[in-house]
Amino acid sequence: MLLPKFEFYEPTSIQEAIDLKKKYRGKAKLMAGGTDLLVHLKKKLVTADHLISLAKIKELSQVQQAGDTLKIGTCVTMSQLSKSAVIQEKFGAIKTASDNLGTHLIRNRATLGGNVCNASPAGEALPSLIVYQAQVRLQGPEGKRKIPVESFFKGPGKTDIHEGEILVGFQLPLPEKNYGAHYLQLGKRKSSEINVVNVAAFVEINPADQTVKTARIALGSVAATPIRSFHAEDVLTNKAPGEAVFYEAGEAARHKDCQPIDDFRGTAAYRRAMIGVLTKRTLETACKLAMAQ
Amino acid sequence: MSKFDVINSYAPRIDCPDKATGKAIFTDDLSKPGMLYGAMLQSPHAHAKILSIDTSKAKALEGVKAVITSKETGSVKYGVSPARYDETMFATDKVRYVGDEIAAVAATSLEIALNAVALIQVEYEVLPAVLTVEDAMKEGAPQLHEAFTNNLCAEVHQEFGNVEEGFKQCDIIKTTTMKNKRQDGAFIEMQACIAEYDRRGTLTLTTSTQVPHYVQRTVAMVLGMDVGKVRVIKPYVGAGFGIKAAANHQELACCFLARMLKKPVKMNYTREQVFMYGRARHQFSHTITTGAKKDGTLVALKHECYLDGGAYTSFGIATVYYTGSLLAGPYKLPNMSYDGYRVYNNKPACGAQRGHGAVIARAVFEQQMDMIAEEIGMDPLELRIKNMMNTGDTTCNDLNMSSFGMSECIEAVRDGSGWDKKKGNMPKGKGIGMACGFFVSGAGFPIYRSDTFHGTVIVKLTEDGGTALVYTASAEIGQGSDTAFAMIVGEALGIPLENVRLASGDTDMGVDLGAYSSRQTLMTGHAAKEAGEHAKQQVLEVLAEQLDTPLEDMDIKNGCIEFKNQTPDFSALRTRYIKEHRGWTDNPESEKLTFKEASRIAFLEKGSIVGTGKYRPHWLGGKFKGAAVGTSPAYGCSAQVAEVTVDMETGQITIDNIVDAHDCGKAINRNSVEGQMQGSISMGIGETMHEEVIFNDKGQVLNSDLAEYKIVTAMDMPPVKAIVVESDEPNGPYGAKEVGEGAIMPTIPAILNAVYDATGVRMNELPLTPERVYTAIQAYKERSNA
Amino acid sequence: MKKIVTLTINKEHYEVAVEPNRTLADLLRYDLGLTGTKKGCDTGDCGACTVVLDGDVVNSCLVLALQADNTTIETIEGLSNEDGLHPLQEAFVEKGAIQCGFCTPGMIMSAKNLLDKNGNPSDTEIREGLSGNLCRCTGYTKIFEAVSSQCSDNQGGSNE
Ligand SMILES: Cc1cc2nc3c(=O)[nH]c(=O)nc-3n(C[C@H](O)[C@H](O)[C@H](O)COP(=O)(O)OP(=O)(O)OC[C@H]3O[C@@H](n4cnc5c(N)ncnc54)[C@H](O)[C@@H]3O)c2cc1C
Ligand code: FES
Ligand code: FES
Repeated sequence: MLLPKFEFYEPTSIQEAIDLKKKYRGKAKLMAGGTDLLVHLKKKLVTADHLISLAKIKELSQVQQAGDTLKIGTCVTMSQLSKSAVIQEKFGAIKTASDNLGTHLIRNRATLGGNVCNASPAGEALPSLIVYQAQVRLQGPEGKRKIPVESFFKGPGKTDIHEGEILVGFQLPLPEKNYGAHYLQLGKRKSSEINVVNVAAFVEINPADQTVKTARIALGSVAATPIRSFHAEDVLTNKAPGEAVFYEAGEAARHKDCQPIDDFRGTAAYRRAMIGVLTKRTLETACKLAMAQ
Repeated sequence: MSKFDVINSYAPRIDCPDKATGKAIFTDDLSKPGMLYGAMLQSPHAHAKILSIDTSKAKALEGVKAVITSKETGSVKYGVSPARYDETMFATDKVRYVGDEIAAVAATSLEIALNAVALIQVEYEVLPAVLTVEDAMKEGAPQLHEAFTNNLCAEVHQEFGNVEEGFKQCDIIKTTTMKNKRQDGAFIEMQACIAEYDRRGTLTLTTSTQVPHYVQRTVAMVLGMDVGKVRVIKPYVGAGFGIKAAANHQELACCFLARMLKKPVKMNYTREQVFMYGRARHQFSHTITTGAKKDGTLVALKHECYLDGGAYTSFGIATVYYTGSLLAGPYKLPNMSYDGYRVYNNKPACGAQRGHGAVIARAVFEQQMDMIAEEIGMDPLELRIKNMMNTGDTTCNDLNMSSFGMSECIEAVRDGSGWDKKKGNMPKGKGIGMACGFFVSGAGFPIYRSDTFHGTVIVKLTEDGGTALVYTASAEIGQGSDTAFAMIVGEALGIPLENVRLASGDTDMGVDLGAYSSRQTLMTGHAAKEAGEHAKQQVLEVLAEQLDTPLEDMDIKNGCIEFKNQTPDFSALRTRYIKEHRGWTDNPESEKLTFKEASRIAFLEKGSIVGTGKYRPHWLGGKFKGAAVGTSPAYGCSAQVAEVTVDMETGQITIDNIVDAHDCGKAINRNSVEGQMQGSISMGIGETMHEEVIFNDKGQVLNSDLAEYKIVTAMDMPPVKAIVVESDEPNGPYGAKEVGEGAIMPTIPAILNAVYDATGVRMNELPLTPERVYTAIQAYKERSNA
Repeated sequence: MKKIVTLTINKEHYEVAVEPNRTLADLLRYDLGLTGTKKGCDTGDCGACTVVLDGDVVNSCLVLALQADNTTIETIEGLSNEDGLHPLQEAFVEKGAIQCGFCTPGMIMSAKNLLDKNGNPSDTEIREGLSGNLCRCTGYTKIFEAVSSQCSDNQGGSNE
């Protein structure tokens, strides 16, 4: 399979990348790990006369803790995330998601920013980013802006990125105490799966009475974008965690929050049912982790 | 201890050092000076009339050397079975599936060739398409081939014994309907070929094929050349599993372009084209009714099957027969009827894949065995033993089990899995299941009607003595046949494996029907043994004369000459040998006369020592229509036990382990036997669990890549215990028979029976995706609550 | 427009002019004749094209040749030398981990990288470390045996 003809650039600073993007307006594509983009180019799903690689911009490949926030550069790969101490310690649901994406080979190239910009409804890391309240950091000719990742997705393959803008990274509040989070996905085989459904949950427990203080649940593969499951969250809030509550939350997610469609990977009915099961199960683990703290 | 010196051991394969170091050459690794690149135009429509083709723009593109359509190539019909030649190199009047070939281009680069393909303008009149068996058989459905009304490609009606009478004697009658989904071979090497044409008129095609012989004949026929002017070479091949067992359009187009341009041309399928070409396992819809007596004795089986054939016949005629014939064993079954229909539709053609035609029928029948066992309260394993055929038995459709270690296989998996303790005692959500199966060890007849030998082998001893060169046109495609034949020749000649060198996969080396129907070990193996023995005979003849010792009193073993009685004085021979090798340092000093010395002396007396061998099965099978399909000189058989865990909430199945026992006759190389067993199981698991080619309503494959067509990964493969059971097959070389396909037979039903054990649910559609299992569990719950 | 790429492959220094749309896999195979690296899909799904790039395994069909500028690459050809096969290659041969051999170069590169980073992987880690390399022939069983025979715990004694 051949790639179409294009010119290739490897800027070393964000500004340089923004300038290039501006210069080749509309005809240029940004590339991070290339695991989506090169496949799409080969399959002729997209075209580009100019490819701008972000891989040589050092600051985009760093995971940095600053005070009570964590900054993740857009070009940080799944392997990097999986090995990062702070991710392992404080962001278990991101660690699990990054271990689940693709294969051991793909994970060495695939980046967090690429996963987000690709904006697949089934995207591996997206539900976890949502439940940790990540903000996306964007930079363009008009300057910088920050928006919640939750409102960044506009549809399959569509995001709120403006022409000329670059996603430079993510900012996540460091979770404090008494919290737990988990991520689960369901596919047909045990590796290299395109998700049929995927769910992340974040729970904070009120230490005084061991009830749920805050719950955030995000569902993947059941709408045009990953979505929050507000009804399920409501079920949990202020309740003591337990099997019955988890089940009820799962049922709320299943019946009230998701809007899946039929496609060749699964029917809407099955996806709905599985949202129920996976929501229940992620909550079980997230709460167990939260109570253990 | 084995009574053999070379075979029946655990040998590292001779091709593997090159494969482990990246030196082994596959077709796409080759390039030729001045080579052009070819590409094909394939139909975007499932069914359309071709009104016109305009190639002028493509031809005008710089770097394009030729554009060919059926106008240039003509429309010689070809296919697999001469009874149903229904394909042409390029479509003439109409296209019948998305991917049907229309034109090909040769250019100085692949990029230019692809650009040129995009410039070919075809005017279509789109016709209504039929994509399923049901739609294709409806009255008034669009017809694919004029000569075959109702889109019926082939039908079979057979009855052995009297099924209706049989059912009258039965206490239990079970009917099951089940279907699978279309498969893909999913070998990792995509088809590729390079054709060259020399100025003396010889066409050489280097190609990724399982069957150089059939490709040679098809190319010669379609291009109107003498078979002797066409040479087909198979380098290393990244597996085939049946899909590469016939000439494809790319090979034909490539040959045509090379002959036309007198330049080497290379062509490759992309992964998407591999899916478009298809030719893998059919989708089968079976309805099987089995009847038994209260004591478990099987009495009668009635079988109806519809095969989703796709746009052309390919192997389909053989497939539709195999589907029926291989249910006649391994259990004693006096009455059996079969009605099979292979139906055309506007999808890629299906063909042969590991376990040709028989895999899904087996999956249905082996589940019925369990249903019967459950109903009469018998252990399913005991039911199978009770009904098992014995060595020497013949099925109702005339298949003879000349060796049959089936009961030993069952006992081996019973012990190996802890069956007696586990069956009936599995915790909730866990299950155990077993199944049996058998398969041919080489088709009894060639694909075209002929008295040809099925395999010939030449063994030539090097003139310095010591090394045996083996030449065979057989096809090493990963199964280990090169090593097996080198071992057989070593055994036959009495020399160690390291002194045997082998070249294969070239039609110049002889006739060999190739790697399909699990035929090579038995058939080419016979020829290899005969060739080795023939060479040995010639060496011993010379020795007999030189040493004045009767030939019968001598043998060659482990590279030395053995004398039955007193060792004669061979010092004169040794002196002569040493003189021949003046200046060499490795003069023989052993007490024994070496093969090296003997074969050198033989050369000095007689010139090149060349041994030849050949094999053709004796006439097999009955006299009824279609009796040939299913016949074989021998049958391999196997039993498997699978354990599974089912997540009752999601429908996800985990296969915890599989224990497999296979009777392969005498194992030539245990290493390869185990490898075939494990590989078969992994393919069987893929087919059971997640492999299916999915089409949209336009007839396009939706999952034409290895991300969405899901074969087993390292994470999915359960631990497998492979137990090699040996019998002595009278019709096999040194008693050997098949393992390559029979080993897949029990996998699917063993898992299905285990899933039933875990869930109480019988699945009637494959693959067992979490969704299908979940849906079935839900339906079962509703039924139980109702 | 072609650009010059300078890289080290199997300890040899190379300088080649490549088009921007050339992948690393194609550079290795078609420009440099290192055909040990295979292609089974060209879209990142099979792992036949696995090479080690600056210490990490990658699908070379999804890396641009230009991205390999100033990098160090190991391919299957670099593992064996005049003294013989690498012990891991030896283990693949001995244990019967190779059938058609098309997945083998990629599989061995993944296994070697895994062992380089973790001398003693567990069975699960071995499976995970090979999860991107599809093999249709062997059912992986003998591949696991070959890799696990090279774990430091299993060295020196019997491998059986
Ligand atoms: C074999 C295989 C398996 C896979 N398995 C999974 C899986 O299990 N789960 C999953 O979610 N995905 C999977 N993917 C898809 C892909 O690997 C991921 O989405 C990955 O995270 C994409 O990252 P990347 O760096 O490779 O993105 P790229 O391909 O480089 O980019 C993706 C898209 O984002 C744009 N982009 C990238 N960076 C920026 C930026 N900083 N600013 C603006 N736009 C940008 C690009 O222009 C492009 O459109 C798989 C892919 C392959 C080939
Ligand atoms: S060829 Fe690169 S992953 Fe298949
Ligand atoms: S050995 Fe054939 S694909 Fe692995």
